[in-house]
Amino acid sequence: MKDKTPSLVRMILFFLAAACAVAFLFLIPEVVKLVVIAALLSYILDPLANLLESRGMSRTKATVTIFLAFVTLLAVAYIFLLPLFLEEMKSLEKGLSPEQAGVAIARLESTLVENLSFVGVKNLDLAGRLQSMMSHTGEWLLSHVVDAASLLTSMILIPFIVFFLMKDGREFKRSFVSIVPNRYFEVALYLLYKLNVQVGNFLRGQFIDAIIVGLLAMFALWIVGIKYFFLIGLFTGLANLIPYFGPLAGAGLAVVLSILQTGGFEMAVYVMLAFTLIKLFDDAFIQPLVVARSVDMNPLSVLLVILIGGKLFGILGMLLSVPIAGFIKVVIHETLAHYQRYRTV
Amino acid sequence: MSALWQNIFRLRQNKTDEIDDILLKIPIFQDLRPRDLNIIKRILHTREYKSNENIFNEGDVGLGMYIIVKGKVRIVYSTDCQVLAELGEGDFFGELSLLDESPRSAAAIASSQCVLMCFFKPELLDLLERNPKLGNKLLFKLAWTIGERLKSTNEQLKTLGGSVRQDEINS
Repeated sequence: MKDKTPSLVRMILFFLAAACAVAFLFLIPEVVKLVVIAALLSYILDPLANLLESRGMSRTKATVTIFLAFVTLLAVAYIFLLPLFLEEMKSLEKGLSPEQAGVAIARLESTLVENLSFVGVKNLDLAGRLQSMMSHTGEWLLSHVVDAASLLTSMILIPFIVFFLMKDGREFKRSFVSIVPNRYFEVALYLLYKLNVQVGNFLRGQFIDAIIVGLLAMFALWIVGIKYFFLIGLFTGLANLIPYFGPLAGAGLAVVLSILQTGGFEMAVYVMLAFTLIKLFDDAFIQPLVVARSVDMNPLSVLLVILIGGKLFGILGMLLSVPIAGFIKVVIHETLAHYQRYRTV
Repeated sequence: MSALWQNIFRLRQNKTDEIDDILLKIPIFQDLRPRDLNIIKRILHTREYKSNENIFNEGDVGLGMYIIVKGKVRIVYSTDCQVLAELGEGDFFGELSLLDESPRSAAAIASSQCVLMCFFKPELLDLLERNPKLGNKLLFKLAWTIGERLKSTNEQLKTLGGSVRQDEINS
């Protein structure tokens, strides 16, 4: 017992310190969010920096080159895509003006009541429901996006953190590993390696997948004839970062806007068909090619994990829940194996 | 004042030269240019172990090789505590783990206070990605080292086989 006391005290102290660290992080959620977003971006851009390094550039030069390319890309997007984006926003605003939207919703409601009266559909009050939904969305937008000061801070701080994470990421990792006690040093390094593989591959794969699906959605909606193809495509691409829920959200938005645009179901059917085809193409060709199968989890676990992530940490939680759950699975597996080995030795 | 700086730099220079000498004796890092050697030194982890401290246990997931900079290390079979080898300064062990993640076949224990440098698989993979020329050079040297070890094992087996046959004839 005498021998065990110091290690027990050490373990209790360690857990207390860990709990304090977690509690401290919960007290500064904004800073944590900034660092997490920056870490995600640096994860996605890291292979690009490695590629430039393999062409003979130093890490600093590679990072600066990527940042310059990114700024150029933003400038090009600002010049060419912003007018299209603004035009669609204006058009969407006009298309959803109270009068026009009211007419479209009334037409849709009458069609629904006419066709679905046999299942007891009588009074839907679509306009009221939509209005309440829009007002909630407005509140959400006001609280989350329109906070100009925090948006500006994020726009300055995120690139700053990304730059240093990309340039000195290895040094940060080495410094972290150097404080791990000898007994856990190799295990810690192994877990970091697994985390890097799991989270990195998953995020990079999802990112490329999101770009391809977003472009495909834009193209399909343009062919179908939806006015806001660019906006919906952009939203679909971003939403596609979250497995299962993302594609549904993109398709849902496209269907709602197509109904509001035409007041009927005809275009909505084509939109649904287009999204089904994109999803099939994504599952059959894009996902197996670009999303590494590093997260070895069954679909039910993935769904539950995304729901829990969303409930606890919002959209960021939904995005990160799958790779982190995969990592936790590896940690539990390795810790158990480690523990069993120490018991037998 | 300048003497002070000279002394500090000389100390640092000596320590660096010492590590360079040790690394250049390891077959995997032999013939590397000073520039490449500096890159390698930046990705190595340096660890200090007390006497009788476990470096790794038999059965642990192996992630890479250890190079002894200072002190002595014994390689032990945990089951019967049989000492397989005692290694000293400039020796290295665990290099097979750079290629696979199979469990360590024996334990390594510090016989005295040790300073080890560790070269691990994640760093090798990272190096292969961002500096393929140097990474491939190391892989080639690693293959050569493992080949040499295999040859030596074959020789030992041959000798052992010969002595067993001799024993059979004698009996």
